[in-house]
Amino acid sequence: MDRWRTRFWILLAVIVAVPLAFAVYAVVRFVPDYAVTYRSMDEQFKYGSTGGERASGFPYWVWKAMPVVFKDYLPKNGLPGYESFGMVYETDANGRKMDLPVGVMHRRDLGIDRVFVNCAVCHHSTVRFSPTEKPQLVLGMPAARFNLGAFEMFLVSIAADERFSANVIIPEIERQAGGLGPIDKYVVYPLAISIMQSRLLMLRDRFLPMHPETWGPGRVDTFNSAKALFNFPFHAMQEKEKVGVADFPSIWNQEQRQGMQLHWDGNNCRVEERNKSAAFGTGTTPATIDLGEIDRVERWLNTLRPPLSWPRDRVGWFDPAKAAKGKPLYDEYCSNCHGRSGTDFTSDCMSEAQRQAAIRACEMQAMDVPYGPCVGKVTRLESVGTDPYRLDSYTYDLASNQGLLYANVLYNDGAAVPTSFSGGGARGHSERFIHFRKTFGYANMPLDGIWLRAPYLHNGSVPTLRDLLEPPENRPKQFYRGYDVIDQVKVGFISNVATSDDALFQTHDPKTGQPIPGNDNSGHLWGTTLPPDAKDAIVEYLKTF
Amino acid sequence: MTENGSSSRKKMLMTILLVVIVLIGFGVWFTWFKFFRVVPEPEWQAKNGHSAGDMRFMYGSVGAENGAGMPYWIAYVLPRVFPDLLPGREGKPPGSGGYAALGANWEQGEELPIGFTKKTIGFVRVANNCAACHTARIRTRPDQNPRFVPTGPNHTFNLQAYFRFVELCAKDPRFNSGRLMEEINQSADLSWVDQLIYRFILIPATRRQILALEGRFDWVFQHGDYWPEWGRGRDDAMNLTKYFLTGSKMDDTLGPTDMPSIWNLRKYDDNIPLHRLNFAGDSYDANSVIIDSALGLIRTAPPSNAAFLNEVGWLHQYLGGYPPPKYRDFYPANTPGAIDDVKAARGRMVFVANCAQCHENAKVTGTVVPRAGVFMPNQPPLNTDVQRILSWNREAAIKANSAVSHFGIYRHGLVEENPYGYVAAFLDGIWLRAPYLHNGSVGSLREMLKPAAQRTPHFWRGFDVYDPADAGFVSTPEQAKRLGVDWDDVLQVATPYDVRLRSCGNGGHEYGVTLSDADKDALIEYLKTL
Repeated sequence: MDRWRTRFWILLAVIVAVPLAFAVYAVVRFVPDYAVTYRSMDEQFKYGSTGGERASGFPYWVWKAMPVVFKDYLPKNGLPGYESFGMVYETDANGRKMDLPVGVMHRRDLGIDRVFVNCAVCHHSTVRFSPTEKPQLVLGMPAARFNLGAFEMFLVSIAADERFSANVIIPEIERQAGGLGPIDKYVVYPLAISIMQSRLLMLRDRFLPMHPETWGPGRVDTFNSAKALFNFPFHAMQEKEKVGVADFPSIWNQEQRQGMQLHWDGNNCRVEERNKSAAFGTGTTPATIDLGEIDRVERWLNTLRPPLSWPRDRVGWFDPAKAAKGKPLYDEYCSNCHGRSGTDFTSDCMSEAQRQAAIRACEMQAMDVPYGPCVGKVTRLESVGTDPYRLDSYTYDLASNQGLLYANVLYNDGAAVPTSFSGGGARGHSERFIHFRKTFGYANMPLDGIWLRAPYLHNGSVPTLRDLLEPPENRPKQFYRGYDVIDQVKVGFISNVATSDDALFQTHDPKTGQPIPGNDNSGHLWGTTLPPDAKDAIVEYLKTF
Repeated sequence: MTENGSSSRKKMLMTILLVVIVLIGFGVWFTWFKFFRVVPEPEWQAKNGHSAGDMRFMYGSVGAENGAGMPYWIAYVLPRVFPDLLPGREGKPPGSGGYAALGANWEQGEELPIGFTKKTIGFVRVANNCAACHTARIRTRPDQNPRFVPTGPNHTFNLQAYFRFVELCAKDPRFNSGRLMEEINQSADLSWVDQLIYRFILIPATRRQILALEGRFDWVFQHGDYWPEWGRGRDDAMNLTKYFLTGSKMDDTLGPTDMPSIWNLRKYDDNIPLHRLNFAGDSYDANSVIIDSALGLIRTAPPSNAAFLNEVGWLHQYLGGYPPPKYRDFYPANTPGAIDDVKAARGRMVFVANCAQCHENAKVTGTVVPRAGVFMPNQPPLNTDVQRILSWNREAAIKANSAVSHFGIYRHGLVEENPYGYVAAFLDGIWLRAPYLHNGSVGSLREMLKPAAQRTPHFWRGFDVYDPADAGFVSTPEQAKRLGVDWDDVLQVATPYDVRLRSCGNGGHEYGVTLSDADKDALIEYLKTL
């Protein structure tokens, strides 16, 4: 009898305890979902989560192994690993290089650590005032060094490489991690690698037609990426829609921009909606986005000022008398469209009261955006005359489709929303996109920290401010992007240093002399007929912004 | 068996019974909540120049969600999963732009295109209403966003491509729960229960429901010279009635016509016994047309005749008094394209002398004019394309009337006679009703005033920039050039129209074609004032 009892207990243990143990393990292992978060907003911006890792995150160890296994796919510019794409690693208090570059977030989800890029990856860079000094990290400025196109090409190329397999990647992970547990080694990571591969291959089909390899540092094709989100077939689009590449923008002082037309073509007037739209780039979907954390960063960006000022006290870097001469010229020729100064974005045509009215008009979902030579409004293409491709890449059909984004997502702040979806019972703030509008020109932007926002024009086709004040035929036809040393005379980055093979920027095809679609440096002729010393004075004054 | 034992057994039975009742109750409630609970639509509010009534007309339910509604998230992801089945350049797949690729009128900032409704009956469902085909779209210059005119003809919507798209999606092996859920989960944060409902019930059921209509859809897949595409802005209305309402077998006829304007319907209601509706005069009164068209949207008997007729009543009232759009609202005085009043006044004289006997005549306007044979002294017969007439007949009308009566809905109904001509049109808002003739075979009013042999035999339909000089939408390269329209923009969305193909003839209605150029100019100017 005892023997049977023993057998019974053993059997029970096998039937109940073993699956139970597995279940407990699975729950403990795979259910937790939390991001690395930071109390300091600087740190949260640099490394904090948008929620995008849940849908798009790379397994942390695969991230670490990729640049080693696929070293041959990295840009050849002498820089190691992710730095070759222009990503920046900070050093910690002990002078050690940080584990992840700025703009990469970290989350525990589905049983593994996962990483992906966040907002900061496209909105921070480094600055030096001479090649010999240490680069300073500047948050919120355009990521002038980051070559997102090259990074995308890297990802979709390695996914199609036969080495993208558990057999090759896991040994490298084990080398770096000093061994993996059996469940990780034989179950979790092989599965994760195969899922990641199929996701990347799917992205490959959607992204390659945008030719990310041609973008170069500091640029992205925002709205063809948005079309990829809707799976609009690229080959069914009009030719003129297909090139939408433009520079990363700065993202300071967002509160003062509320009600102004945002994005290069001014296609949205609501900061929050623009932010959530941009957050798709960090892998977020309406199902995975962390609205709370996004909200936190959003509020911080509202009042974030350019963290660095022009070094006025350095010898030879600033001439106050010349700047003083530039101010009236700026006021006369520039301020209506670009605001009174780097901190005051009002102008004669846009008082604070008028901006508040614009905010209300935006909330009322006016069908058309305001046009005219005034800050925050849109200047029609025929007046500004700059490269049309970025404008044409954003279509009416895309604008209307964007009305589907975040449909039926409620941000639970308690506000009552009438929506047929919620059945009348739910309370929360509807997050559906309602402010995207097709426009027919480019937006007039405030110039806060303009000296950090080179190269200039929406497509970054003019290397310095001084060049922008020259007529198009005198502007450089080719130069290098992606260097972080400031040009103290012309204001912008030094543009004759090749940081990378793909940093060469050409506005015109050297063979045909025709403008390259998306790269044309013509237009924006304001101030180009002034005498040279007046132009110099305006540039000097802009250093104070 | 003791007293005690029996009572405890009773107790146990009672408990089990109670549990069963609670479970059944929960099941019933759950089924009701998730599949049948009707949530009223939100109160309609005026927005962006549209009145509350306009909003209801454009986005409100006519009751189609029950029988013809698609679960919201399926409708949401279909264009993302099957972009290769949407129409693109020259009306052929693939197309870019989601539902916008179909030429549906989609206001910026709105969740769904005009004519697409969203209603919760258990789960959220998407269906269509009258506005899908009856809201016009217009731009007065190419660098401008379109304006939408409720009750106007939707000259950009490719209804045939829409039918094909839905049917082809359902037939496609990618229409399965795995693929659709993958895409849905990119955009929706559905609860576990709702995911299961979608995965195991709604997706397979939707597919089955669409495929069940397969036979009736056959005729929209016909193509070739003998079966020209409807193209943008047209539908084969009477065959739609035959195959969907009465379930008739497919015949050889084809009669695509323009989506009509449905503003100012009161003009038909003034007790003139010979007034007829539809291009060939197939119906007696506005009420009947609204009922029959709405039944076409609902696809089955309405769940409640009272609610249905109530909606029809509202539509009749709304449409009855809806004023035709004024050209002057789009081209105000002292802007390019504005009406020259002196010229228009002269045009009025030309109109009275040459057009009024049919188009401003209490006895004739709104009644059927025979297609063949002389009906006006010294004028040729009407002689416009015959195919639309051939697509309908007495038997079909009798069948359709009896089908509607079977639903328990009584209306004056369809005319139980073989059609023999076309209705002499009221010309209210005629400027926005291009292209012209019942089959939309003539691009502009100016073209209408040319002898048939000189009318453009090949042009493009469904582009939304208006040409004030010719009074019609841009449909030829010459017009595009004159108005600064990039012709490639036209080719991207418009559908080609070839008058040589069956049912597409642009012959006939050769009235006023011998007028002097100055008189034609003046006449066009006057017509814009209507």
